[in-house]
Amino acid sequence: MSMTAFLGRRLLQLVPTLIFILIVVFVLVRLLPGDPASAVLGDRALDADVERINRELGLDRSLPVQFVAFAKQVFTGNLGNSIAMKIPVTQLIRDRLPITMLLTFMAAVIAIVFAVPLAFVAALKRDRLPDSAIRGAFQVGLSMPVFYVGLILLTVFGAKLRWFPVGGYGDGFLDHIYHLFLPAVTLALSLSAILMRNLRSAIIGVVDAEYVTFARAKGLRSNLILFRHILRNALISTLALFGLSIGTLLGGAVITETVFAVPGAGRLMVDSIYGRDYPVVQGLTIALAVLVSVTFLLTDILQAWLDPRVTK
Amino acid sequence: MTRLSLIATTAAVLLSTTALVQAQERGGIMTYGRYADSMFLDPVLNDANVDIWILSNMYDTLLLPTDDGQSVQAGLATDWSVSDDGLMVTLTMRDGIMFSDGTPITTDDVIWSLDRARNPDNGIWNFLLAAVSEVTAPDDKTIEIKLAQPDPAILPALSVFNAAIMPKAAFEAMPGETDLEKATAFAEKPIGSGPFVFDSWERGSTLKLVKNAHYWADGEDGEKLPYLDGVTFEVIPDDATRILRVQSGELDGAELIPFARVKELQDDPNINMELFPSTRVADIIINVRPELAGEANPLSDVKVRQAMNYAANKDAIIQVVTFGVGTPTSSFMSSTTPLHTGEGAVFPYDLEKAKQLMSESGYPDGFSASILTLAGNQDELGIATALQQMWSQIGITLEIQQVDNATRTDQYRAGTFDMRAGAWTNDIADPNQITSYFAYSPTIDALHSGWKSEEVDSLFEASQSELDTTKRAEQYARIQEIFNQDGPTVLLYETPYPVALQDNVKGFNQIPLGNNIFREAYLEKE
Repeated sequence: MSMTAFLGRRLLQLVPTLIFILIVVFVLVRLLPGDPASAVLGDRALDADVERINRELGLDRSLPVQFVAFAKQVFTGNLGNSIAMKIPVTQLIRDRLPITMLLTFMAAVIAIVFAVPLAFVAALKRDRLPDSAIRGAFQVGLSMPVFYVGLILLTVFGAKLRWFPVGGYGDGFLDHIYHLFLPAVTLALSLSAILMRNLRSAIIGVVDAEYVTFARAKGLRSNLILFRHILRNALISTLALFGLSIGTLLGGAVITETVFAVPGAGRLMVDSIYGRDYPVVQGLTIALAVLVSVTFLLTDILQAWLDPRVTK
Repeated sequence: MTRLSLIATTAAVLLSTTALVQAQERGGIMTYGRYADSMFLDPVLNDANVDIWILSNMYDTLLLPTDDGQSVQAGLATDWSVSDDGLMVTLTMRDGIMFSDGTPITTDDVIWSLDRARNPDNGIWNFLLAAVSEVTAPDDKTIEIKLAQPDPAILPALSVFNAAIMPKAAFEAMPGETDLEKATAFAEKPIGSGPFVFDSWERGSTLKLVKNAHYWADGEDGEKLPYLDGVTFEVIPDDATRILRVQSGELDGAELIPFARVKELQDDPNINMELFPSTRVADIIINVRPELAGEANPLSDVKVRQAMNYAANKDAIIQVVTFGVGTPTSSFMSSTTPLHTGEGAVFPYDLEKAKQLMSESGYPDGFSASILTLAGNQDELGIATALQQMWSQIGITLEIQQVDNATRTDQYRAGTFDMRAGAWTNDIADPNQITSYFAYSPTIDALHSGWKSEEVDSLFEASQSELDTTKRAEQYARIQEIFNQDGPTVLLYETPYPVALQDNVKGFNQIPLGNNIFREAYLEKE
């Protein structure tokens, strides 16, 4: 199969996936106990107010009717208005999602920057002191809860040393990066541990492979062997893992954004679920699903480029 | 004297006077950490405390609550009177008042704003002005509010956020057909006449207010308030992070400090840990319906409820949950609520009495029941855990169910819960709001508990139009007596609002109704 056909097939696969997600999220938020009016109005709501608001929102209609209305909206690019904030969901997504994307991207970069060289050192010094030290350190990183790591980093590098701001998002692109550095490191920690372990085993596997022995026998320079043969082949499985981890990373962003007071989509999602703000939960889920799907697609393309057998 | 030494002497004199007089200093932006962002900045159509507690900085009302939250003072109106029959309120508007955009505030704006606020189709707060039948202006300085029946709480009601005066023309010029659509557009960049003006808002992150150059009130120095150039609200949901940011000097103040951290911050020499008196009360609400899920409900037995009250050691709960910051409630309403009666815990801890009451009740061998608490809320979990242990001594097995707020509200409204932890803060400087929700059955079934007292209901109805303050006080005393003794609650404690401020922040106030008042706040220069 050509690369174009491969791409076309993968893009077509996105459509049923998104429709499925649309249905699932619509049903799931409505299965949660409580309705938006009571959630927003709280304990003091009078029955008449709850009924009036639910009627205004069309929530007194049957589920199929509501779903058709919702699907119509989605296909016209309108995700409705937030119930609590009363502004368009698209506006909220446009404001909040890029923040989470930047945070996730920074975390991914940091994770790779840490994981790749260390995986090499660990693999090439297998079972010796550097290997044990690196693996031990990452084990600690992997087993610590995200919010706890976040608080430690905030206390040490924010409040005590004052190298970084204690949370917030700042003004302007460079300031955003500065503000997001600690949260990104927090978020990167567990991902880099996973990547490092995986890449280390992959390298070990490749180092012993016949083609590497053959390359050495041919007298190729070790740098060339390292990058062209070992890294390229070892990266294939790690890349797949990395793509799959993006979803997890976005999940981790929810906690990280709360601890570091980053006004991203993760926090918006949690607040909206608590507030039963159906349109925001639905709209945000769709946006995140598209984002994750696109990431998977990019990972697939990259994998296909590294290993043409994938498209076969 | 050389020029240099003259400057030095002058500077020294100036510095020493400043130190002596402690004058209010002008300028600077105060940054304030909030636990959650506002949602909708319209005084009439908002739904939650996150909005209410800052609206008063942007919008002004005819009357303002006093600093102790118990009474009213002059706002956009300088004089006010209620007719002898209680059916007419007459107010005189202040001279030369303007909205923040510089347009004058007219009687037309007042009439339109109050009509909008009392419209039953608008929002959930219109009940506060339910007695109003007509608002008119006989001349351009006077507002007359006609009432369908006397309302002793009408003056405090005029000081509540929903009675804020808004610019009619600017609002009506907004795009949209309905009031909600116009309000949505207006609330994106609201115009009011409060001490501060909306500047910018990045949702979930920062809300910036700047000084209103047209504000009417004067400061101690004879110049216009506010002293600050602006206030920036930063949203920091995590308690620990909010505190860290105050400690690192990045914030001038932060609200909702967990009680567990109050002592530590009180010991911090750079931080002024304020505990502002509040109307906040914490209690357990009990479902007293005779049957629950088709079975007889032990909680409907008044002796059982009294036993639970006596067996709950409030002092211990206050120590465990609020780290000693709270005080036992002497009534269902806080001691800062007007017409509150009582002193000390209504049911002082007495295990023997509790056991005695249990043995006299229909359930001498005890029973099992559950309590709903808010997932992630350490205070409620602490209360429930303490009660679990305390009530086990009178034979009650308590199962703790942690749920999210919407789930809890759902069960609450459906009347399918056994017990739930609850907290309340008044929005108005009058006992009528809390009493309507807690004790008067037609509103929400006495907190959805199913409790009903004919006497309380008729006393409350009478008190709603009772103009004789002594008689009204007597009515409320009786209501409290009945409710406290056999009502559907376990009364726990009242707590102040803990706010951590930098040492140089002066003049900030959080009134007992929760509103954050920045109009006289200033930052003392080091």
